[in-house]
Amino acid sequence: MSSNQFYEISGKEEGIRLESIKLEDKIQSAVENGHRSLEINAFGQHGIGGRLWKAADEKINIKITGHPGQRIGSMGFPNTTIEVMGPASDDVGWLNTGAEITIHGNATNGVANAMAQGKVYVGGNLGSRCMTMTKRNPSFDPPELWVLGSVGDFFGEFMAGGIAVICGVSPQTPDNVLGYKPLVGMVGGKVFVRGPFNGYSKSDAKLIPLEDEDWNWLTENIQVYLEKINRPELLEKLTDRSKWQLIRSLSPQEKITVSRRTISDFRINVWDKELGNGGLIGDLTTADRSQVPLITTGNLRRSVPVWENKKYMAPCEASCPTGIPVQQRWSLIRDGLFEEAVDMSLEYTPFPSTVCGYLCPNLCMGGCTRNKSLMKPVDVKMLGKSSVTAKTPDFPKPDDRKIAIIGGGPAGISVAWQLKLAGHDATIYDASEQLGGKISKMIPKSRIPEDVLLAEINRVNDVIPHKHVEDDLTIEDINRLKKENDFVVFATGAQKPRMIPVPGKERLISTNEFLVRAKADDITPGKHVVIIGAGNVGCDVATEAHRLGSEKITLIDVQEPAAFGIERDEAEEVGAKFMWPCFTKEITEEGVLLTSGKTLKADTVVISIGDVPDISFVPESVEIERGFIKVDRNFKTSDKKIFAIGDIVKPGLLTDSIGAGRVAANRITEILAGKESEISEVKKIDINRVSLEYYNPRLDAFDDINHCGDDCASCGSCRDCGICVQACPQTAIARVDKGKDFEYTVDDNKCIACGFCAGACPCGIWDLVPNKPLG
Amino acid sequence: MSSNTKITPSSLSKKDLPWQIEWDNDKCSFCGQCTSVCPMKAIKMSVSRKRMMNLSLGSGVKPSNSYETFQTIMQNTTSENACIGCAMCTQVCENHAIMPVKSDEPSKLAYHVNQGGNASTRGGRRKSNTPGVLDQIKFLRISMLTDPALDAGRHEFEMNTLLGRVLPPEENIKLLKENGWIPPVREIYPLVIGGMSFGALSPTMWEGLQMGVSYLNEEMGMPVRMCTGEGGCPPRLLRSKFLKYVILQIASGYFGWDEIIRSIPEMVVDPCAIEIKYGQGAKPGDGGLLMWHKVNKLIAAIRGVPEGISLPSPPTHQTKYSIEEAVAKMIQSMSMAWGFRVPVYPKISASSTALAVLNNIARNPYAAGLAIDGEDGGTGAAYSVSMNHMGHPIASSIRDSYLTLTKLGKQNEIPLFGGGGIGKNGNLAANAAALIMLGASGIQIGKYVMQAAAGCIGSEKDRCNICNVGKCPKGITSQDPRLYRRLSPEKVAERVVDFYLSFDMEIRKIIAPLGRSTSLPIGMSDAVGINDYHAAKRLNIKYVV
Repeated sequence: MSSNQFYEISGKEEGIRLESIKLEDKIQSAVENGHRSLEINAFGQHGIGGRLWKAADEKINIKITGHPGQRIGSMGFPNTTIEVMGPASDDVGWLNTGAEITIHGNATNGVANAMAQGKVYVGGNLGSRCMTMTKRNPSFDPPELWVLGSVGDFFGEFMAGGIAVICGVSPQTPDNVLGYKPLVGMVGGKVFVRGPFNGYSKSDAKLIPLEDEDWNWLTENIQVYLEKINRPELLEKLTDRSKWQLIRSLSPQEKITVSRRTISDFRINVWDKELGNGGLIGDLTTADRSQVPLITTGNLRRSVPVWENKKYMAPCEASCPTGIPVQQRWSLIRDGLFEEAVDMSLEYTPFPSTVCGYLCPNLCMGGCTRNKSLMKPVDVKMLGKSSVTAKTPDFPKPDDRKIAIIGGGPAGISVAWQLKLAGHDATIYDASEQLGGKISKMIPKSRIPEDVLLAEINRVNDVIPHKHVEDDLTIEDINRLKKENDFVVFATGAQKPRMIPVPGKERLISTNEFLVRAKADDITPGKHVVIIGAGNVGCDVATEAHRLGSEKITLIDVQEPAAFGIERDEAEEVGAKFMWPCFTKEITEEGVLLTSGKTLKADTVVISIGDVPDISFVPESVEIERGFIKVDRNFKTSDKKIFAIGDIVKPGLLTDSIGAGRVAANRITEILAGKESEISEVKKIDINRVSLEYYNPRLDAFDDINHCGDDCASCGSCRDCGICVQACPQTAIARVDKGKDFEYTVDDNKCIACGFCAGACPCGIWDLVPNKPLG
Repeated sequence: MSSNTKITPSSLSKKDLPWQIEWDNDKCSFCGQCTSVCPMKAIKMSVSRKRMMNLSLGSGVKPSNSYETFQTIMQNTTSENACIGCAMCTQVCENHAIMPVKSDEPSKLAYHVNQGGNASTRGGRRKSNTPGVLDQIKFLRISMLTDPALDAGRHEFEMNTLLGRVLPPEENIKLLKENGWIPPVREIYPLVIGGMSFGALSPTMWEGLQMGVSYLNEEMGMPVRMCTGEGGCPPRLLRSKFLKYVILQIASGYFGWDEIIRSIPEMVVDPCAIEIKYGQGAKPGDGGLLMWHKVNKLIAAIRGVPEGISLPSPPTHQTKYSIEEAVAKMIQSMSMAWGFRVPVYPKISASSTALAVLNNIARNPYAAGLAIDGEDGGTGAAYSVSMNHMGHPIASSIRDSYLTLTKLGKQNEIPLFGGGGIGKNGNLAANAAALIMLGASGIQIGKYVMQAAAGCIGSEKDRCNICNVGKCPKGITSQDPRLYRRLSPEKVAERVVDFYLSFDMEIRKIIAPLGRSTSLPIGMSDAVGINDYHAAKRLNIKYVV
């Protein structure tokens, strides 16, 4: 059989249209029987010309006349050439894998949908959604679609490869040969187009210059195409290079960088242009609003570190009624300035050794920060005892301001001492020949070495004028003194023993009398002693009684005894017994009869339930409250020329009296200078700022004064250790030498306000405080 | 610092706090950045001591001890310095040495945040551990050769919604004839940035949002709108062409309204709409308070008040005593201000009484719509009790309202805008689509915007939420330049654009398979279902398992 002769197959049989399944069978059978040229007179059958693999590599020519149905040449093989002599329906070349299909007319929708290889030549226009989802397999040539006129809407959707050529000759849509929304989702291939079009999906494809290589390909292949559709005369018209444009898909990389206007550009050219310089609120504020990083320096820090050296009181100083800045003395010790540390005490107290070293319960040590971590407080007694050698300061020459001080006990001596230091003419009036009051007369010798006491009394005697008053002072005396002096200070203490109203009370001996006589070895208390009132003074009585030969000493009280510390320890050591609650009914010859009926045998009964002041000499201008003189916080009485300090105001410790003296003296000096009261409002430091972790917690005893100095936490006072300089990650902290003094400073332009300085500081000097508000 | 202290009932240990700082000594370089950046001073450098015991027996060896002092990054345990889990320390740590970790048991701090008798306040959203109803709604109706097969990527969709009273033609004609007026209607993008005031938000945040919104309009052709919240509106914006992208809010404090009124004659365009705020989902029935320390020069200028005074917005408007009066009086007044050219609508908290408001609105042709704010909405500051326990879920509130409108035959006439927790678990488009299909014409979002556009790290599980104290570590809600300058308005604007574009794609991905492209599927409830029987019944949607 000749391959040039067409074997005719009709789509009708006996006038009746064959179903697609039957025509397909006829076509496949013809190919199987060796026919290689078929002419098919179609009557709307589906898929004509596809799937002719039975011819293997032999060429098959199919000519279709009549009216073919959809999907001509679908799944077409490379061996197949199809020529449709008129127009065609939908999906020509659907899933074409190599067939060459020519349509001599228009084709409707979906031409070349999913075509992977082969060619579709169309001599007319196309409907919508053609060349969609086409692909290019790298092992084969790309599929091609040639269109003489225009294409319908949604051309080239998801086109993933292949070449489309739209010639724009007699287009159905002359204004837009590419149709509506072409090339959406295109990822591969290219489209040659000749004629006007209204855009394409710019996020998927772009126009590119028509290079020689593409142009050569087009001119070469367009001749083949024009011959296929029998329009060779158009060659000249269609090879005018200037009329052609080329669109290709964007690469994935190009798609990522599809640019919209940058926001910065929008801000400058749209936003600020409309609103004015500085944008939305440029008219309301000129403050800088530019972006800052998370970590800032200088003014942009939310907090700033401050070096608060000596801004707060150390707890020891705050606890000391006398107000001695103990931490500063330890600081001097650390600096090797022992003498200065010792001498300094005399600025605050005339009895640095007697009181701090022996008689004081050392409230400073009770307040010591180290207690918080159950560490042993720094031993102030050591420093106190050493202070007996303190050098008497140079007192200024007294001015003409005169102050009379009534009473030469610790309070009176303190106020006189301070007034002399301030350069005033202070004189003590006292009934005793010796200054010292309680300290010299009543404190048992066991509590303090005599030479220490004597040394300090002498130091005082050298400085303070003392008038011995033999007679009891009267109100008239006071009024006279008021006239002769700028101020009068009452410091007579409380010397009248408080009594209990029980029968036989005349048998009682007062503590004061007992202690004074005991100290002078002027009393024999006997074997049995009962002390009513088990406080610390009662303990002193017990200790003295023991020294004087008593064997059975009993302290009784109506409540749990208040005695504490060394006094109680010593009383217990000598075998004194504490009994409570005991209520005294009567003092008999045998001893103390209690309300319980029991009698405590006693040779001597000492009453030790406190003393009240003798106020017989106090003029009416001075207000009294419950037997004591009423004072303000500066110890000034209601009489503006009279101050009152010590036990006449309120019973207290020696250090309370000494502190009161200092306060009163300061105020008197202020008044004399015409100044307002300046009571220091310095607050105690928050001890949580102090780091005790730097010290050995197992320390049980201090070797010496230097050891104490080293382990004092120096709360609130910089110990100049330089830890902060090293802790700062920004090297923002520097030590500035200021001669005798020094300072630590922060470079604001380096500091990031991390607070490491505050965190690491052993003494609690650094704090992190909010920066000044901005804006 | 010694840990040997007297405790108080409110003394807490690290274990008791909601967040615990995990710090790695081996990795730490002690650069100081974590303690520097921490907004709460929750961490600090601290000195510690280590004891080394050398307790062994042996000839010539005496048992001994030695100590070594070292430094650590330590967590503060006071309630005012408790870690809020913001993880800014982690953010700045170059060595990944520090991170807050959520406590493995309920925080004990909750019992002590009432020091001095002050009830606890915070910012953020209500606490929650479960996904919301909107998260559980599935879109069931998918075109499988049934409806037109649409492709979100290549087909065109009408994504806009209408804000304004859409009366039937005959009624409009009647109104036109009688009054020479028909209700103004705006075509807007259905995702609206809800009211967050200039003051609640920082200047950089606010400008960034407005810039992003303007960009979407000017450059992307998306008619996105943003509500001012109650705090006035910068004078420049009032006099700019961008005002048409702005919904001006008036609320019970009336802050900034003198400036708005003054600027009316100078306005070059009308605002998009006026929102009258009656309630907020995060704190229904409660007002607001901008503390005096946040009222700096700038805020004072915009709100039209002196500097340094506290600004209360009462829970209620003072001059309105009934729904009828509130709706009629306020809508009339606000409409009149712009010559009845601007839609005016109320915004209320979702509540079991919402339908009463809706019924009134239905009778008032001047009412442009109704915005309802659900219980999961966010806020800059509210009492924790209000935030955690008060309010009504948005899903059923919108659904009830929509079904009521269908009964009245007005479902296409009065647009409902729903807000409050939309996208709170990140599912913005799905939540929005669900709410639209339940009957909302549009969605309002606030907290999501802060999260997506500015990196807000607040959460429903006790993270951060300190908007109320002005210490926002991202600079979103602070008036302190040292904090708000961390935020770049441009970057915020860029993120606004990003999330709007992605939202637009996602919502198309949901509605394309429905075969709907010519209008939003408002109330298209046959498209949704839920695998919770009671929820399905309550919302009148399909129950699917």
